[in-house]
Amino acid sequence: MPEHDPEQELGPKLTSALHNQAAGQSDLQTTGLAREARRRVRRRRQTWSVAAGAVLVAAAIGGVWSFAGGESPVATSNSDSSGDSKAAAPNTAPGVAPSAEAVGCPVDHPILKAPGPDAVPPGTGLDLNTMVTGLRACRYGLAEGGTGLLGQESFNAATAQQVVNEIKVLPERNAKLPVFKCAPQVSKPSEAIVLRFDTAAGIREIWVWYDGCESAGFFTGTHTYGLFSAPLKLFMTGSVRPSGGTYLEALKDW
Amino acid sequence: MAAEARTGPLDFEVWVSEKADALLRFAYVLTGDANLAEDAVQDALTTACARWGRVSRADDPEAYVKRMVVNAHISWWRKFRRREAPAADPVRTARAVSDGTAARAESEAIWALCATLPDKQRAAVVLRFYEELSYAEIAQLLHCAEATARSHVHRALAALKTTLSTESTEGAEDA
Repeated sequence: MPEHDPEQELGPKLTSALHNQAAGQSDLQTTGLAREARRRVRRRRQTWSVAAGAVLVAAAIGGVWSFAGGESPVATSNSDSSGDSKAAAPNTAPGVAPSAEAVGCPVDHPILKAPGPDAVPPGTGLDLNTMVTGLRACRYGLAEGGTGLLGQESFNAATAQQVVNEIKVLPERNAKLPVFKCAPQVSKPSEAIVLRFDTAAGIREIWVWYDGCESAGFFTGTHTYGLFSAPLKLFMTGSVRPSGGTYLEALKDW
Repeated sequence: MAAEARTGPLDFEVWVSEKADALLRFAYVLTGDANLAEDAVQDALTTACARWGRVSRADDPEAYVKRMVVNAHISWWRKFRRREAPAADPVRTARAVSDGTAARAESEAIWALCATLPDKQRAAVVLRFYEELSYAEIAQLLHCAEATARSHVHRALAALKTTLSTESTEGAEDA
């Protein structure tokens, strides 16, 4: 009860003082409040509409950009700034072909019908003295009933150049690899990799043969380099890493 | 927008013209400043206008809008804005003044004291003694526990009691 005393004692005084002050205030502007409220609501909605419109335009521009097949500037920036050797490009699961060739690896590639590793079409092989600015490694199945794109990985300019540098110093063949003898029907490789380099003149390729028992190595159409593990380690990653191969098993450290 | 307001049970413009005076006086008592009061009421009415369909269907639209005024007044951003605004004229310390009436002096002293109270404490006092709300209602409005609302009011009353007793002592000495 004593706690309530101040309220009972001073409450009426407070009530009276507050009402007196409120009643004595004659400077308050009572007109135009509703009109101003409506104006502010309208302006607020216009602002929201403009903001929503801007978002829609940005989304539309983004959509058109994606539809045109260009790489997102954001992704490019990420891949450039990161020290990761893999660029921000498609990474398909083994056995799953990508839906669009625009991402790098053609689904229908000449290697699928090539009679051998030397059949790199004229003009498409890489001159290893050319500067390269990017690399897409495309792994193709060549076995009967299992042909097609098995996987692909993208790499930045530094890794691409490193692959070229590792290959161009190799001898024509790796003498440490055994010479296999097998029946013609099983001599054909079950798979191979096409290295597609970005150059100033366009895409140029190196075919990598590592299975079967015909031959193994890096093929440009004009030059052949023996199969060694150093360059393989740079790009045989992710969906481009084979589960095995006749020559790979002989290499051991790939 | 206009259609939205007219589909409600009350017309926004008519309602504002009827209630503007009461809202502004309430806001003045709450803020202690005519400009701040107009600002708070205008903001509350803007919010009410945007959702007039719901506000007009409330049991007591006036209480609803007053709640918006209180919320606006105690919100952090408004406090920040007030801090950036020019300082108000110093509040005159209440003393027995020329009109000679003790009641008038007491009223002035109470108003001066209210100006020194923290925002929430002042809001609790105004809601309790101007709006005559229960502590439960005050607590709901101020987003605090009922005991906290009670504590706000009692602290203000304690300060007021001290001020008034000092005033009366000094008045007696002056006499």
